[in-house]
Amino acid sequence: MTKKTRYFLLVSGAILAVGLTTGLVASFVGLPVTVFSSAAGPAELEYIPDTAVVVAYADVRDVMHSEFRQRIRRFEPEGRERDEFLEKTGLDIERDIDTVVAAMMPRAVDATGRRNDAALVLARGRFDVVRLEGLAREHGGQVEDYEGVRLIRHAEGGEGRSEIALGFIEPGLVAIGTHTAVRQSIDTRRNGRNVIGNTEMMRLVADLGTNNAWAVGRFDAIADRADLPGEMLSQMPAITWFSAAGHVNGGLSGLLKAEARDEASAQNMRDMLRGFVAMARMQASNRPEMQTMVDSLQLGGEGRTVAMSFTLPTEVFEALGAIAGARREGQEPR
Amino acid sequence: MTSALPTATPAAPSYWTASRRVFELSLGEMLWSRRTIFMALVVGGPVILAIVFRLVEWFGLPALRVNGVRVEGAAIFGVMIWMLFVRFIVPVLGVFYGTALMADEVEDKTITYLFTRPIPRGAVLLGKYLAYLACTILVVLPSVMLVYFAVVPFGQIPATFGQLVADLGILAAGLAVYGALFAFIGAWLKRPVLVGLVFAFGWEPVVVALPGYLKQFTVAYYLQALVPHTMPSDGAMSVLQSFFQQAPPLWVSLAWLTGYLVVFLVLAARIVERKEYVLEQ
Repeated sequence: MTKKTRYFLLVSGAILAVGLTTGLVASFVGLPVTVFSSAAGPAELEYIPDTAVVVAYADVRDVMHSEFRQRIRRFEPEGRERDEFLEKTGLDIERDIDTVVAAMMPRAVDATGRRNDAALVLARGRFDVVRLEGLAREHGGQVEDYEGVRLIRHAEGGEGRSEIALGFIEPGLVAIGTHTAVRQSIDTRRNGRNVIGNTEMMRLVADLGTNNAWAVGRFDAIADRADLPGEMLSQMPAITWFSAAGHVNGGLSGLLKAEARDEASAQNMRDMLRGFVAMARMQASNRPEMQTMVDSLQLGGEGRTVAMSFTLPTEVFEALGAIAGARREGQEPR
Repeated sequence: MTSALPTATPAAPSYWTASRRVFELSLGEMLWSRRTIFMALVVGGPVILAIVFRLVEWFGLPALRVNGVRVEGAAIFGVMIWMLFVRFIVPVLGVFYGTALMADEVEDKTITYLFTRPIPRGAVLLGKYLAYLACTILVVLPSVMLVYFAVVPFGQIPATFGQLVADLGILAAGLAVYGALFAFIGAWLKRPVLVGLVFAFGWEPVVVALPGYLKQFTVAYYLQALVPHTMPSDGAMSVLQSFFQQAPPLWVSLAWLTGYLVVFLVLAARIVERKEYVLEQ
C-alpha cells in the first residue's frame, strides 16, 4: 500500500471517527449548542432554566424603530399612563429597552398545595438602577443579596402570597419575575443547565431565523395555564409543541407552527385550517381591506408539522386604522 | 558426496491470504485511477450543495421553503439521502466499479499476470471486490458525514443521530450488494456497463413503482425499505411508488440483501474460476 493510499485511508477514517464520536457524545452525554456553532436565539437564554416550557423573545428596539411602527403610530391613543411610567421609573420603553426575553417554567406545588406560576422576564437596555430601587422601596420592596446579585422582592397581597422580584443580574440586564424564578435564573447562569441544552426547544428556536419577535413552547403548558375544561381539551388536536414568529419591518409577516403528536392529528389540523382559510376567503371577497390579509394566508407543513404563514403590508393596518377612526368619530356625541 | 536438493515448493497461499494480497494491490490502483475523478465529482456534489446550504443559512436566509414554510436541515438531509445517495450514487458507483473489477484487467491485458499466480482465481475476484468495497465506503460514508454536519443544526443531532447511523449502514449495505451484483454482471457479460445502467436506472425504478411480485427481483426494493427518512414525492415514479408501497419487514429486507450479496458473489467467483478470458490482440 503506497503512502498516498495510507493517507487517504487515514483521512477518511478520521472523518468517520470524528463524526461518529461527536454524534455519540451529543446524543448520550449532551453538548451545549455553543460548542460548534453559535447558539440560536439571544444570549439571555443562558439565564433561562432548562425546564422552561415557554420561551419568548422580542427585539423591542427593532420593532419600535421599524417603518411599520412609525406608520401606525398615529393611530395609537394618547398615553398619559406612559408618561407617568416614564416620570416614575425614568424608563422610556421605546428608547431604553433593546430586547426582552420571557420564559415560563412548570407550575410548582407549594406546601399548602397551591400551584404557583413561575415566570421570568429578562430585559436588556439602559436602566436607572438607583431610581428603580428607590421606587421599589417606596412601594414596600425589600432588598436582598443572592449570590452577589442585588434583588428587590415584593410580596403581592401581603406576606405568604406570591412574591415578585427584580434583580440587576448584569450591567444593562434586569430580571423580573416570581422570586423563585429570578433566583433560579441566577443559579442557571452559574450551573449552565440552561434552555440551550433543551434540544427540542432549541430546534424550534433555530428554525425561527431572523424574526424580531417569537415564542416557542410546549402546548400542554399553555393549555394547563388557560384552565380549559377537560372536555374542550379532549377535543383539541394533540399538539405537542408550538412556535409563533413575527417579523415587523415595512409590514408584519408571521409564521405559526404546531407539532402534532402524530401525522393523523396533523392532517386533521391541516384540514380544519384549510376549511377556515377557505371560509375567510369567502367572507373577505366583498371586503377589499381584508382581501390582502386573507390572500397572504399560506397553509403548509408536512408530517407532524402544521404551519400557517401570513404577510400584512402596512396599508392593511392603515385601512383598518382609518375604518376604526371613522367609527370613533361617528360615535362621538354632537 | 551427495547434496540434498530442495524438493518442497513453497505452499500456495490460502484463499483468504490470496484475497488479502489482491485487495492490497487493487485498493491503490482503484483509488488513484481515472475513475476516481468521476467518483469525486459524484460524491463531492452533495458536499458542495450542503456547504452552500450552510452558507445561505448562515446569512440568516432560509435555504429552502415549501409553501412559505422553511424546510428544516434534518428534512433536507433525508431528501439528499433518498434522492442523491440511495437512488443515484450507490447504484452508479456499483455499476461503474463493480462491472470493472475483472473487465479492467481484461481490457488492460493484465489479467494473465494475476491468473498465472499460484492463487485461486476466485480469490482474485474476492480481493478486488473487497478493494471496491473499501474504496467506495471510505469515500461515500465520509461524504455523508460531512453533508450531515453541514446541513443538520447541532441542536438536532441527538434527535437525528440514530438515523444517520442507520443511513451509513444502509449505504454500506447498498454498496456491498450492488457491488456483488455488478461484479457478477461484469464477470459474466461482455458489455456489463450498459446492462448495469439499464438495470439500475431502467428496470429497478420502474419495477419498484409497480404493483406485483417483480419488485422482489431488485435490490432497491429492499434497500429503500430500510431508509428511515420519509420518501420524498419528487416525481411521478415516487408518487406511484408511495401508492403501491408495501415495505417488507426489516428482517425480510436484510435477509434478501444478504442472500443477494452471497449468491452474486459466489456466482461471480465461479464464473471467474471457469471462464476462459480471450485477450484481444
